[in-house]
Parts: sequence; structure tokens; C-alpha cells
Amino acid sequence: MNASALVIGLVALPFAAAIVVALLGAARAGLVRWVSLGAALGGLALAAVVTLQFTAIRGAQPPQKEAAATFAPELVPGADPKAPARTTWNIIEFGNRGAIQFYLGIDGMNIWLIVLTALLMVSAVLVSWNAIQERVNEYYAWLLALGAALSGVFLAFDIILFYVFFELTLVPLFFLIGIWGGPERRHAARKFFIFTFAGSVITLLGLLALVVVCHQKSPDRTLTFSIPELVRQVNHHLLLSAGADRAFWDATQFWVFFALFTGFAVKVPLFPVHTWLPLAHVEAPTAGSVLLAGVLLKLGSYGFLRLVLPLTPDACITYGVDVVGTLAVIGILYGALCALAQDDVKKLVAYSSISHLGFCMLGMFALNAPGLTGSLLQMINHGLSTGALFLIVGMLYERYHTRHMTDYGGIGAKLRILTLCMVVTCLSSAGLPGLNGFVGEALVLFGAFLKRPELAFIASAGILLGAWYLLSMLRQMFFGTLQEPAHEGHEVRDLDAREVCALAPLLVLFVILGVYPKPVIDTARPDLEIVAKILRNRPGMTGAPTVAQQGE
Amino acid sequence: MTEAHAQLLVGIWPFLVPEMILAGVACIVFLGGTVRADRHLWAGVSLLGYVAALVALHLGPATTTPADPALAHAALLPVLFDPLTKLLQALGFLTGILFVLLSWNEVDDRQAADWHACLLILVAGIGLTAAANDLVVLFLALEMVSIPTYVMLYVPRENAAAQEAALKYFLLSVFSSALVVFGFSYLYGIAGQTNLTLILEALNAPETSARDIPLLATVALITIVAGLGFRLKAAPFHFYAPDVFQGGPTVMAALLAWVHKATGFVALLRVLGFVMPPHVQPREFIGVALSEQTPIVFWFLAVITMTWGNALALVQDNLKRLLAYSTVAHAGYMLITLATAPYLRHEAGAVDGVEALLYYLIAYGAMTVGAFAMLAYLSTPERPVDTIDDLAGLSRSHPALALTMAIFLFSLIGVPLTAGFTGKFLIFFGAMSVEADHAYLFWMLAFIGVVNAAIGGWYYLRLIAVMYLRQPLQPLAPRPNLPGLATLIVCVALTLGLGVPPGSTWLLRHVKGAAGAAETARELARR
Repeated sequence: MNASALVIGLVALPFAAAIVVALLGAARAGLVRWVSLGAALGGLALAAVVTLQFTAIRGAQPPQKEAAATFAPELVPGADPKAPARTTWNIIEFGNRGAIQFYLGIDGMNIWLIVLTALLMVSAVLVSWNAIQERVNEYYAWLLALGAALSGVFLAFDIILFYVFFELTLVPLFFLIGIWGGPERRHAARKFFIFTFAGSVITLLGLLALVVVCHQKSPDRTLTFSIPELVRQVNHHLLLSAGADRAFWDATQFWVFFALFTGFAVKVPLFPVHTWLPLAHVEAPTAGSVLLAGVLLKLGSYGFLRLVLPLTPDACITYGVDVVGTLAVIGILYGALCALAQDDVKKLVAYSSISHLGFCMLGMFALNAPGLTGSLLQMINHGLSTGALFLIVGMLYERYHTRHMTDYGGIGAKLRILTLCMVVTCLSSAGLPGLNGFVGEALVLFGAFLKRPELAFIASAGILLGAWYLLSMLRQMFFGTLQEPAHEGHEVRDLDAREVCALAPLLVLFVILGVYPKPVIDTARPDLEIVAKILRNRPGMTGAPTVAQQGE
Repeated sequence: MTEAHAQLLVGIWPFLVPEMILAGVACIVFLGGTVRADRHLWAGVSLLGYVAALVALHLGPATTTPADPALAHAALLPVLFDPLTKLLQALGFLTGILFVLLSWNEVDDRQAADWHACLLILVAGIGLTAAANDLVVLFLALEMVSIPTYVMLYVPRENAAAQEAALKYFLLSVFSSALVVFGFSYLYGIAGQTNLTLILEALNAPETSARDIPLLATVALITIVAGLGFRLKAAPFHFYAPDVFQGGPTVMAALLAWVHKATGFVALLRVLGFVMPPHVQPREFIGVALSEQTPIVFWFLAVITMTWGNALALVQDNLKRLLAYSTVAHAGYMLITLATAPYLRHEAGAVDGVEALLYYLIAYGAMTVGAFAMLAYLSTPERPVDTIDDLAGLSRSHPALALTMAIFLFSLIGVPLTAGFTGKFLIFFGAMSVEADHAYLFWMLAFIGVVNAAIGGWYYLRLIAVMYLRQPLQPLAPRPNLPGLATLIVCVALTLGLGVPPGSTWLLRHVKGAAGAAETARELARR
């Protein structure tokens, strides 16, 4: 079979499964669960095959000395025979001037996020097995639909398609939080939807502005919605052309940056617009939290990496480092301090997400290769560790129906496997060398030190705080004398095989990525280098010399 | 009158066959209603009437082709049959079918004949509005839509609120018609003609005395926009909408929200010259024949309308009032297209303003008629669906109906994969594509538009949240109602089908054909 068909399968399979599951009806709960598990495992298998194919293709290419001019996705469905990195599948044509395309593809930046999504989908299905008892078919349908939309965002190489998938993640999650969530679920679901919807419509406007400006300024008036083509146009023709109007481009980039920033910052979330996150994470059902923290937040940082950095490089250099870097550092400390103050363990994990995503953004806006690499690693690591944390917290809650840390004590004596998993996960999340968290954070801080030592210095306090709140939580809940919360008579057992299956792959990956992250870094490097090179070549905005420029 | 002219006058009758069929069937139904009171019979008869009209439209002569040597004369006739007319006629007849289904079980046996006959006349009025190329014909066609509306609002007269609604609508509608006539009289004064082709020709001519009297044209512009703004439900001409929607029958609310809005926009397109008759050469831009200020007028009207509609919809608890303000807000989005259309036609911009308007109108029709049809379907005399709370827990008692309603609401929000998203995308993309000295004004307009879309998200989502996230207070018990169900199925199929390819591509091709007809005609004439 054609390998590019598999790429469509990554979106189509969960989507088709969602429809099947919805039609099966609530009465056949058992069948619904097995079909969903099958779809999730199928998705994981597809992702694995695609990864192998992709690494084989990339391995066969001769190593390039110079970074390419723009992204060149592989395995593009409907690829143009003459230029395999482009597609010929049009969705809406605007005369013969251009078209919105169904443009999917794989490159070094999205491949690992796809694998992460597929993996967490399996865990999400497994962890919901017994926890969800009502409206089971609807639940799994929305869960699978969410998985399809998430894969779609990562795979999309057409900005309108990207936006469509980006928006489509909202609907399933709205229902997942609103119907199966905690006591505050209705408020949480609406707040989540409105925050991200308001942000993303403004993002859409920014994307359209970019398309329109490229259309109007390019000599042959190309109208394109393709991300690689826009990156090429902006960086290699329009900005560098002899007659480029600097004042015009500065103003355009500022507004486009602002518009894209609005939407993606909400999603990440960055400091002042993060308020939907603790609420949504805490109220969501476990699987919802896992996907929300593990994958959904990455949509924001991925959006920055894929669109904001390469398309508005000057604005990133001039404003990004100061504004986003500072907000990221505030987020790191604020998230960590809030986590420290929590009694609800799920809230603690939610706030720790804000802190960890702050690292991700700080590394990205260091705008250099180590920072970008660290940032991408941090995305994957955070997805794994926080996903695992939410899984374990969900499993605990299923047993004792409380999330207050003060209700627990010395659970380690009773639930040995669960405690082992929790300790490993916390250490990974805290950034212990040898586990995955360390590699990402070290690279992020390294990149940040090169750019802004003072920010990196303050941010490193976040690691310290991270260790503090995670270890305090461990001590309070799992060590010391045994103190179980009231649980009405029913026997509390340690993790069963299903739960171990949900967790084990993540734990194994902690170690693998901690010891040998090279495959991930190597696949991502050529594509990250494209972004880094674009940023290296840009002077920033005129009239506002940056500290970075003065330093060079 | 020349020989050719006389021949053409005779020759246009075949084009009018569909409207004549509708009027004929209306007469039969009016008369028959005195003999038998049976809603199934009269709904069935009028359904056949619409089908016959569609068949006649399909079999009838092709649209006035630009290659026709008699073209110049054709444009002087009081009715014009270009692709836009044909599209809107087809749309009107399909709307008729949809409304017959929707009102099938909503009207009493006793009133059914009058109701359906009025609807037939009204739909014939839509077709004539689309075809009108003369101020007098246009005015009469618009009244053919309005007058049956008065009757239809008054016929059920269940309670005081319904009577108040009918009276309020009647008085304000008459007033708005007077404004339109007033504006038309100025146009007649400027050009000395009632024929729209001649008027636009006079206004577009490079050196014409008409250009020396810009003030008169501006007065005409303002009064016509104000008068037709009543039909569009553009703020501040929308005040009747919430009361009439709430007081009148649900079917009437759907009719006012969609048919009257559509005819209002079509009349604007014709009168202001957004769609030029064949062979008229616009001076510089389309749509600015009356005044250079036209885009500014629509800019402000769009901003006020969408902001006002959305802001007030936020605080509504009555479903029909909420949808009334929602229809105001959507009129605002559509007005964006008229503000941008002058700058988009002759530029190499990707989307044409008129195209985007037609696309959005059709998409809006599907989703809003669907939402009203759902309210009508759920509501029973014993258990009316009035407030938002009445929808509580619908997803538990009727999952399929709740999902259908959710699709309409997501489409009204503008979530991808629905027609509402594609329509909004075209509107905002059009506004962003404007290439002019003051393009930033239109970027601002698009920005205000998307902020409004986000505000709109809040109250539509509230309905979805009530249906899905709350327990039912009092279970709804909709009666089995096959025609009502058929309406819902058609609307939901259109809402989803027109949002994604191939449906969206298909619709885009058709509205492009309709909007661009005049353009192609000009190009062919030049050859």
C-alpha cells in the first residue's frame, strides 16, 4: 500500500471509529470499549509504520550541509509527481489563482508529536475503561474524534486545514469536559471553549492577513495557503527582495505576530491567559486531562514553532524574546508556586503544566538551535510525564474518590506498583538526569543562557520549585504512616494489568528518552535547523535594535 | 415602442411561467379553502405547485444570454433573467417546499388554505424580486412578499402577543416600504426613468448630469438602505424583530429571518448596482453608482448591526428572542460583504463580495430555518418550548434531535465542517483581501467581525450546554410529525453538506456563476 495513505489513516481511522462507536449505541458498552481500543491500537500501529517509513526516507537522503529553504514534508497524500513535497488535492479553488488544499505530511517536527498522540490515545482509552459507565458510546466517540482532530493539526501543512483541525479539537473536548467532568464541569467546559475559540478566530485573521499580504506583494501574485510555500515566499522572496518595504513589513509582521500570538498563547497557555487551564484540567475526566495536558497544549507551542517563528521572524526577534520570554519565565515561577500551594493533587499537576510549558516557550524564544531542540523535546517529555501523572492521579481517584493530598498518607505501603510508577513519573517530571525531563530542560536552559542569561537564571529556579512540590506531594501521599481516605468498604487493589498497560509504555519511554534521545533529536534537527536559519538571517525590526543584536 | 421591443415583451412571458403557476395554484387554494378545510390537502396541493414551478423553471428558456443580439433591448425590459435571477428563483421555490413541510402540521385545518395560498404568493414574490429590473416592478415584488406576511402573521392570532406582533410588524413594514418608495422616487428624479438598467447607465456614464447632483443620490441611498434595512434586520431598523419573533408563530419567525432577509439583500444588490445588468459598464467600482460613500454606509451598518445583535443576544432567555438577535448579528456579517464588494470585483482578490454574500445567505438559510424548525418540532401546546431552560437535557431524552440542533448551533457559531464556517471564512477572507489605500479599515472590519463571532459563540454555546450538560427538568414530548422531521433532515443535510467539499465547491461554483454573470456578459459584449 502507498505509504502516504497511512498518513490519511492517522486522521481517518480514529474519525471513522468515532462514527462506528457512536452508532453502536450505549447498550453495547463492552463492544464500544473494545472497538475504541482497537482503533487506538490501530492508530498507534499506523504511527509506528509511518515513523519507520519516514526515518527510512530521511536516512536514504544524503546529509545536507546547508539547511533547506523551507519545510519539505514527506509522505504527502496526493503528492504532485513533479514536487513530492506538495499536494494536488484542492478543497476550495479560487479561480486559477490558488486553492485551499488538503495538504498533510510528515516531517521531523511533527512525527514525534504524532507518535505521542497515538500513544496517549491508547492510555486514554484504557484508563477510561471502568471509570466511564454512562453514555459510554458517546464518550468514546468524542474521545476518538478528539484524537483524529489532534493528529490532523500536527499533520496539516495548509494553514486553513491547520485552523480547521485546530478548531475541531474544541468540540469533542467541550463535550468530554462538560458531560463526564467533575462538579464544576459546565463552567469549565464553557470557559475552555470560549477562551480558545476567541483566541483562535483572531489567529485565523492573522493567518489570512499573511496569505493576503503574500498574495498582494509577490510579483506573480501567487495566492497560496501552503505553509512551506508561505515560508519560502516570505523569507526568500519578499523580505529579501531589493524593493522590500521595511516599514510595511515591520508593521505587517507586528500585527500578524500579535494575532497569531493571541490564539496560540491561550492554548499554550502563557501567563495572563492561562486561567482556563486549571479549571479545565481539574474538571475533565482523566482521559480528557491526559489528552488536554499531553497533546492539546502542544498545539499552541507547535503553532509557534510551525507558523509564528518562520513566518514573522523579525517580530519574534524584536518582541518575541522580550515579551514571550518574560511571560514564559513568569509562567514557570507562577505555575510552580501555585502548584506548591495546592492541596488538590490534580490541580497541582495542572499548575505544573503551566510551569513546564513555560520552559517550552522559553527555549523556543531563545531562537537558537539548542533552544528549539530543547523546546521540541520538552513538548514530548511534558506530554509523557504529565500524561502519566494525570493517569496515576485518575487511578488513585477511582480508588478513593478524593484528590486531597491531606487525605492520603503512606499509600506506598499498600499500592506498591502505583507508587513505583508515581515516583518514577515525578522524578521524570522534576527533571532528574537519566530520565527524559532532564534532557529537554537542560537544552532549553542552555539555549536560553546563550540568548538571555538573566531569564535562564530565573527560570532555573523553576526546576528547583518543581522538585520541591513534586517531592512534597510524594512524601505527603505515598510515604510515612499509612492513612487511607475513607472508601466505603470496597477492597482497594493495586494496579491491574489494564492499568499497567496504560502506564508502562510511558515509563519505558521516560528511560529511553532520558538515556538516548538521539533518534528524536536527529530526526527533528534538519527541520528545526530550517527555522533556526531563518531566524539567524533576520535583522529584527528596524528602529528597535535588540539586546541580541548589540551582543553579537 | 419598436417592433423588437414589442417582440421582447411578448417573449418574456415564458420566463414568468413558474411565478404564474404559483399564482394560479394560490387562487385554487384560496377558493378551495372555502369548500374544504383540510391542512393535508392544501399543503399537498401547494407542494405540487412548487414542484411544478421548479419543473417549469428547469424546462423554461435559458437565461438571457449575452450572445443574444437583442441583449441591449432585453436589459430595458422590466424584468431581467440573468443567472442570478435563476439561482434565486430556484432557491425561492425550494424555500417554498421547505416551508410547506415546516408549516404542514403547525397550522390549523381551518386556516391551512389561507396560509398556504399566502405562502405561494410570497414565494412568487421572491422570484419576481430576483427578476425585477424596474423600480415599479421591484417595489410591487417586495410588496408581494410583505402583504402575505401580514396575513400570515395575523391568521393564527392565538393571543394578545401574536396580535401585537402582527400589528407592530404591519405598521413598521408599511413605514419601511414608504421609505423605499421615497428613495425610488429620487432615483426616478435623477434619471427620469424607472428602468434600473437605464438608471444605472445614467449614473455610471462618464459625463452625466446625474453626477452633478450627488446629494440627491445620497438621499436615495440612505432611504433605500434604511427601508430595506428593515427587511435585513440591520440595526437600528431591527427593533420589531424580537417582539414579532416571540409573539408570532415559530414558522413566521423562520420566514422573517430567512426569506425577508434574502429578498432585502437581493433588492439592494440590484438597486445599488452590485450586480450590473449586462452591458452596463461600471465607472470604477460596482456598488458605488449612487454614491462614493456606499462602502462607508455599509461599513458602519455592519459594525453596528453585528455588535448590537450579539450584545443583546447575550442577555436573552427566550429562545425566539435569542434567535431574533442572532439574525440581526448575522445580517451584520452579511453587510460586511456589501462594504467590501466594491473593492473586490475588479481586483485580483480571491473572493468576490457578492459571491460571499450569496453563499452566506444560503448557508444561513439552512441553519437558521433548521433551528426554528427544531423549536417548532419540539414545541407542543401542552409543553411549549419558550425559554432556554426548556431545552435542558434534550440530549438525554432525544439524542438525535439534540445532535441536529447542536449542528445548527455550531454552524451559527462558525465551527469548521459546517456551512456557517465556510461562509464566514469567505466573508472575512474577502474583507482581508481588499486592496485599497485604506485597506486597514477593512482589516478592522474583519477584526470586529471575528470578535463578534467569538461573542456569538458564547450564547449559542449556552444552548448547546443546556441541551447536553444539564438534566431534563420536564421531559419534552414532541408529537410524531413527519413533514417537520423532513424539514430538519433537509436543513441538517444542507448545513453539513454545504460546509465541506464537494458541497461547498458546488455551491461556490453556482454563486460565482450568478454573481459573475454580469461580468462575463460584459466581457463577451466587448469581443
